[in-house]
Amino acid sequence: MSEETETRLIVVAPDSEITPDHVTRFIHALELPITVKETCYGAIIEGKRELVRKALQEVRKLDPNRICSKIRGFPMGDMRRCRAHHGSRPGFPQLEKEWELLPLIAEGLRSAERGEKIEEPERKVKLPVKELKKIVEEVSQ
Amino acid sequence: MKIFIDPPNSLILYDLVERFGHEPLSTMGALREKVNTLEMDSPPLNITHEDVQKGLKYAGIEVPSGIRGRLAVFGPLVDEAEAAIIMEDPPYAFGCVGCHRTTLMLKYLIRKRNIPLLEVKYPTSEDEARTMVGKIKEFLEGLS
Amino acid sequence: MIKIAQLSCGAEYSGVQSEIEKAANSVGAKMVYPDIDYEEIDRAVEEFGFDPASPTLRMMIARAMHLVEGRYDADAVFIATCFRCAEGALIRNEVRRFVQENSRLPVVTYSFTERTKAGQLLTRMEALVTIVERKELLARERQVGLTAGIDSGSTTTKVCILRDNEIIGKYWLPTGEVLNSADTSYEKALEMAGVKARDIEAIGVTGYGRFIIGKKMKAKLIQEELTVNSKGAVWLADRQEGEATIIDIGGMDNKAITVRDGIPDNFTMGGICAGASGRFLEIVAKRLRVEIDELGALADRGDWRKVNMNSYCSIFGIQDLVTSLAEGVSIEDVAAAACHSVAEQVYEQQLQEIDVRQPVIQVGGTSLISGMVTAIKDMLGQQPIVPKDSQFIGAAGAALLSSGFLEGQ
Repeated sequence: MSEETETRLIVVAPDSEITPDHVTRFIHALELPITVKETCYGAIIEGKRELVRKALQEVRKLDPNRICSKIRGFPMGDMRRCRAHHGSRPGFPQLEKEWELLPLIAEGLRSAERGEKIEEPERKVKLPVKELKKIVEEVSQ
Repeated sequence: MKIFIDPPNSLILYDLVERFGHEPLSTMGALREKVNTLEMDSPPLNITHEDVQKGLKYAGIEVPSGIRGRLAVFGPLVDEAEAAIIMEDPPYAFGCVGCHRTTLMLKYLIRKRNIPLLEVKYPTSEDEARTMVGKIKEFLEGLS
Repeated sequence: MIKIAQLSCGAEYSGVQSEIEKAANSVGAKMVYPDIDYEEIDRAVEEFGFDPASPTLRMMIARAMHLVEGRYDADAVFIATCFRCAEGALIRNEVRRFVQENSRLPVVTYSFTERTKAGQLLTRMEALVTIVERKELLARERQVGLTAGIDSGSTTTKVCILRDNEIIGKYWLPTGEVLNSADTSYEKALEMAGVKARDIEAIGVTGYGRFIIGKKMKAKLIQEELTVNSKGAVWLADRQEGEATIIDIGGMDNKAITVRDGIPDNFTMGGICAGASGRFLEIVAKRLRVEIDELGALADRGDWRKVNMNSYCSIFGIQDLVTSLAEGVSIEDVAAAACHSVAEQVYEQQLQEIDVRQPVIQVGGTSLISGMVTAIKDMLGQQPIVPKDSQFIGAAGAALLSSGFLEGQ
């Protein structure tokens, strides 16, 4: 496989109305010479880099803030990383967890689009030992 | 610019870096080359004995082989990076970043590089997510 | 096809994954990987009670739980982590214990480096396959009938003749030409037992020369030494149940095997340094102008602390001993220092790679040297069990196991 080839995950946020089936059909309809496979989180596409990027650019338009993407190291259907042959792929639980987080990211993107001011939320700090000691004395009395 | 992301296989960071016009340096990218090298035969990742030895550039012989093998693949990404984003406290970090010690070392290596660096925390609420995305956007747009 | 579930951390990035798969394939087994999802990992780690920082180790725990709960079908378990990783070593051992306590799946463990090749994994994989395929045979605790066991080692060839769970004939000699050494020892052992070769109902063979000897003698059992020696050691020591560590320091190499109910689950093997073997003691005995059998008793009367040894090496270490003699230290102290040196090196090179479980059963040629047993006791803080005929574990184990083929006849 040449270096010009790219494999990409198209991941649709769980709260998006767009379904993996929709994404797959949409990419097919672009009639680009790339391979498309529907997955539980969206789709996986593979082909010449510029064509894959073009498909990504188009598919993002369906729901810009809720369709995300990253590349994949292994080619599509590679036996070395096939779930049936090698059990769950080690990176899969991570994808599952990041997928769950996408609605929050979409919210962040919308907020950034609106140009909202970034406010640093207050981070909790550990209670100073002196104060804890005081409380211990109070409570134990 | 080439942006190193940590966790280096994060979908969210990869997407945001690309979205705001830069090139993410990820483990998927680094492994792509490895797994496509057909003449080698050390599946699944095609990491070889020689690769693990190359990891000595980043950590000594007393360091476990799995760490040196990882650093051999991911260390060059740190060397190549022109800027970086680190997301602290992710509740997930599997696959390529399955070794906690390697993750710690990679973060240290990137901090030592003295390149533009943004450190954010994994969000737990909408407010925190807004802040995180906003900061990442601001950081990436500010890179010339 | 035997399915071996792999629970590991670091194998892919150490470049040894293909070696693991190669070793499994060559013994007719296949590596498999229990499938789990994210939620299960959190639940498993919480239930297990050990929460490692490395995600792959967390995944290992979840996979182990999956196996134990019978939600994944495998015949055996291979648990491996990177050598020198503290977190990995702790989890490897606790996961091992967890699987053994909660299932009947045979387990072997390993800590690998990037230099690990299929050859080093082969004995483990072969042992796993044996434990699965010959479960009933390995469960055998008593020898029946009249059987013979041959252990063709790198230094010595040992033969035992067993009748009704007793050793009735035994013989050993230094290994020369493999077949001749086996033939001679076999004849001598038969002579001692007072039986004829035609009366022997089954022969078991183990050790380096097992294939060639086994073929010629039409052995019923041809088996790697890991399972055979373990079985022989617990049989001789009468410790067939529970955990134990077998320390086998031979003439030229040494092994440490951990067992549970007589079934091995990990081992380490020396062999690159003569300083950690009986050879070192032979050189010392020669230098002290005493017989090797006398060295142990001398050592028991000496104090190793009086000798300053800076090296375990059979050249430099011996130099230190000679220097001490010249300074007026007694030969008893020198003998004790020699035994201490061997024990210390076994401790530093071998026992670091396994979890030492009590009781320790000390076997092999050097277990006959009492000073060596004392040195091991000092090192481990507990008296090792030295069974009678402790140098014959392989031969006794082979004779015991081969009698399993006689059932029903």
